[in-house]
Amino acid sequence: MAEANVAKVAPERVKPKKEKPPVKKQTLGMKILTVLFSVLSVFYIAPVFIVLMNSFKTNAGISSAPFQFPNSETFYGVKSYITGMFFGNFPFWKTIVCSLFITVGGVFLILICTSMCAWYLSRSNSIICKIIYYLCIFSMVVPFQMVMFTLSKTADTLHLTTPWGILIIYLGFGAGLAVFMFTGFVKSIPIEIEEAADVDGAGPLRTFFGIVLPIMKPTFISVGILETMWIWNDYLLPYLILDKAKYKTIPIHIQYLNGSYGHSDTSAIMALIVLSIIPIVIFYFACQKYIIEGVVAGAVKG
Amino acid sequence: MFRKPKRKLYSLIFVLPTFAAFIIGFIYPFISGVYLSFCKFKTTSDAKFVGLDNYVKAFHDEGFLRSFWFTALFVVVSVILINLIAFFVAYALTLGIRGSNIFRTVFFMPNLIGGIILGYIWQLIFNGILQNYGTNLALDARFGFWGLIILMCWQQAGYMMIIYIAGFQSVPADLYEAARIDGADKKQVLTNVTIPMMMPSITICSFLTLTNSFKLFDQNLALTGGAPGVVSDSGSMIYQTQMMALNIYNTFYANQNSRGVGQSKAVIFFVIVVVIALAQLYLTRKKEVQQ
Amino acid sequence: MKRKHITRVAALALAGLMTSMALVGCGGSSSSSSPKADKTKDGNASKGKVYYLNFKPEADGAWQNLAKKYTEETGIEVNVETAAEGTYEETLTAAMDKSEAPTLFQVNGPVGLANWKDYCYDLKDSDIYSQLTSKDYALSEGDAVYGISYVIESYGIIYNKTILQKYFDSDFSTVKKIEDVNSFDALKTVADEIQANAAALGVKGAFTSAGMDSTSDWRFKTHLANLPIYFEYKEDGISSTDAIKGTYLDNYKKIFDLYVADSTCAGTDLANKNMTDAETEFSKGEAVFFQNGSWEYTPLTTAGLTDADLGMLPIYVGAGDEANQGLCTGSENFWCVNKNANKDDIAATLNFLNWCVTSEAGTTALAEDMGFVIPFKNAKEATNVFVKADAEYTANGKTPVSWNFTTMPSETWKNGVGTALTQYAAGTGSWDDVVTAFVDGWKTEYAAANAE
Repeated sequence: MAEANVAKVAPERVKPKKEKPPVKKQTLGMKILTVLFSVLSVFYIAPVFIVLMNSFKTNAGISSAPFQFPNSETFYGVKSYITGMFFGNFPFWKTIVCSLFITVGGVFLILICTSMCAWYLSRSNSIICKIIYYLCIFSMVVPFQMVMFTLSKTADTLHLTTPWGILIIYLGFGAGLAVFMFTGFVKSIPIEIEEAADVDGAGPLRTFFGIVLPIMKPTFISVGILETMWIWNDYLLPYLILDKAKYKTIPIHIQYLNGSYGHSDTSAIMALIVLSIIPIVIFYFACQKYIIEGVVAGAVKG
Repeated sequence: MFRKPKRKLYSLIFVLPTFAAFIIGFIYPFISGVYLSFCKFKTTSDAKFVGLDNYVKAFHDEGFLRSFWFTALFVVVSVILINLIAFFVAYALTLGIRGSNIFRTVFFMPNLIGGIILGYIWQLIFNGILQNYGTNLALDARFGFWGLIILMCWQQAGYMMIIYIAGFQSVPADLYEAARIDGADKKQVLTNVTIPMMMPSITICSFLTLTNSFKLFDQNLALTGGAPGVVSDSGSMIYQTQMMALNIYNTFYANQNSRGVGQSKAVIFFVIVVVIALAQLYLTRKKEVQQ
Repeated sequence: MKRKHITRVAALALAGLMTSMALVGCGGSSSSSSPKADKTKDGNASKGKVYYLNFKPEADGAWQNLAKKYTEETGIEVNVETAAEGTYEETLTAAMDKSEAPTLFQVNGPVGLANWKDYCYDLKDSDIYSQLTSKDYALSEGDAVYGISYVIESYGIIYNKTILQKYFDSDFSTVKKIEDVNSFDALKTVADEIQANAAALGVKGAFTSAGMDSTSDWRFKTHLANLPIYFEYKEDGISSTDAIKGTYLDNYKKIFDLYVADSTCAGTDLANKNMTDAETEFSKGEAVFFQNGSWEYTPLTTAGLTDADLGMLPIYVGAGDEANQGLCTGSENFWCVNKNANKDDIAATLNFLNWCVTSEAGTTALAEDMGFVIPFKNAKEATNVFVKADAEYTANGKTPVSWNFTTMPSETWKNGVGTALTQYAAGTGSWDDVVTAFVDGWKTEYAAANAE
């Protein structure tokens, strides 16, 4: 492939520059796209907005007119937030800490361990590495329901029922997706850079952390975001594994607002969903910056 | 890269942590899961080996076969739609149109909320609309099907977009410059430079959408729950919009004899997904640019 | 420079991680088992401990408090874990697999028991069994007693006394007092007349919406479906069957038709309606009748209705001896003790159960904090107006309708009937489909559940 060769013989270092300036001259087509996407955006925001709006309404208000703004009759104010946070006798702050810990810890562990693993797997040609790689892919197609019972049994046997232990489960169960994505991207990194580092006497560890890791930054961010969403919103796995008397995550906590005989406190559920989205929105906006910065990191490759 | 003498050491450092967790979190539970599919059991500790019994039952289950075809149709439609939309959106957003950053944030938004909740919200929306026509998601399987497709496109397109954007951004700028110097027009750049360089992302995204759609559970449960269900002439209940994962899940708790059957369905399901996913990987990987 | 940046990000992330870990560490140690409980665990390991897997999420807090009280009193450790709504079977399956499985769990009746019988300790010699006011409240097979009911509930047609009185007083009413609403025909007359004069009474309909959403459809696919099963069992003198004949399905149709016709909304909207809708309609006085049970007392009084507004009628379907029909009363919550737990834990669990239903603290908590009517000798007198109504009916010589829906073959069967009902109400399906789901579905599901 001619195009690929260009990459190989490209000059050692191009001055890092933004591939696309933030705002280019807008052609007509681009203007149309902007309008189209603006319309689509409304469609995308609407459900999130509906949740926010309904979190201030009474249960009856949500059920009878889910798309209406709260009015004097259906307005419930922040009462739903208060019920949501203070029902039962498990303190809400603890569920937040627990969720945060599991998510931050799990994502951090997954990113570091699987990126290392993926790099090694794709740079080594041994049969075992190939097998591990394909096992990872297998793991992605297994429905959770299939390992549900055996996984919780294993976790119990190994005493992994704490927020610490569940990190290992997440690393193991989430390894598939992460390894798969990292290997996909490692393949697009020219091996010459690493070989050069090797000649310079940097060991694999230094090569990885010094050279490969910075190049993979956009991938780190994307994998990080995806894994964060998964772990933060995950319900069934922590529900089955965690010792719920001591630890609850936010999604588990929310479930307890559903009572028997069809009694569920919808407005409190909405309120807690809003609360649970806030940290993730902050995180996502913080990452946005890095996704854009990724352009620069990508240019280093040339 | 990894020279012989230290190879073992490095493989330990790089691969072992992940692999060890992988054994605990996946391989061991998976193998015992396969074993359980040959057993009659209530909890994993009281399993009794019954041979192929569960498999025979699984293959004779009308509802399971129906869910297979429903899933297959759903997968085909959703994989194509999601990837087309996501690729196009990601491409448009890397062109530098006004508001790119905002759009990128907004399109990913659905993934901030868990699948079950999204399913319920969309159920509200669809039923709110359908109510005007005197019908409901639970009354007609077609609504359920397209409802699921819309929901999945809406949610997954944003997710895949993130991966495609990362892919677009890792295409070296020089390639475009070189193409421009060679006098390639926009369309040629797209087909000869962008798409070949994007193949790793395309592989990843089509694989992810394929497996996600196959394994779809939360949204299915929350949006339709399988409804409408019809009791067939043989007296068994056939859910019209039930996908395979939901069918398996329901089988686990259907009655005291069904847990092993559910487990064997899961194995069958797994085999199907593996075959299809590997075929897909093989086909797309072949097209990837070898560096 | 680039490297530095990455390191900084990593360091920051790690710092964040550490902070949150420290926090969780704090949380972990300050919460969970009280130090006292820990001491007993180390000191008197032989005393055993209790691990209860609770079914009702709304009672979780009350159970935790009661457990704490018991631990303070006796030093025996009691852990209460609650399954999220609709996931008890999953939770129990996972929990039973643990090295420390629940010592106390529950089943919902004969069909649920079939699933877990191998795990049930025989309670026939236990103190708690002797505390039962009637042995009918135990789940037994032959000599063995596997489950003991801990809450008795009644359901029927809840009515708004105030509005119904307005109807009795009006000139268009043919029925003039509540005592005369004692048959399906009378109920239908009242409902039809209320529906016809809805505006005059200031209501939207006679019955609240018979919502077929999953939060509400159990009222019809399970509770209402109990009546045709009850009358058939009674006629045939049986208590369960492998094939239901559907002798009383016409009566089932009659009552369901009435719910749909004399309702606050059109039949096509029912698929969309949920529990909150029905509850709101009733508590706002938009409907007079509401098929539900004694558990609805707290939500309705919280919503502003008073005891003077509330009453409960038997569900008349035009079958059996209607004049002597009472409310549907029974239980689908039976305590079981795990046979496979170690001896000390079993003993501790039995003691705890006995304490719950005999001690002042226990009975008060069960009655007041959880709102349960318990079938034990020391039970507190109920304040729940629906429970009082049930007692009154029984005192007047009416026969309660027993809960035979616990013999329905499976959840799938209920769902089959539920969807057929939904389609029927919406006009997209026929009553024949309901009959098929009811009769054929029963046979298939029963066979599937009981095949060896």
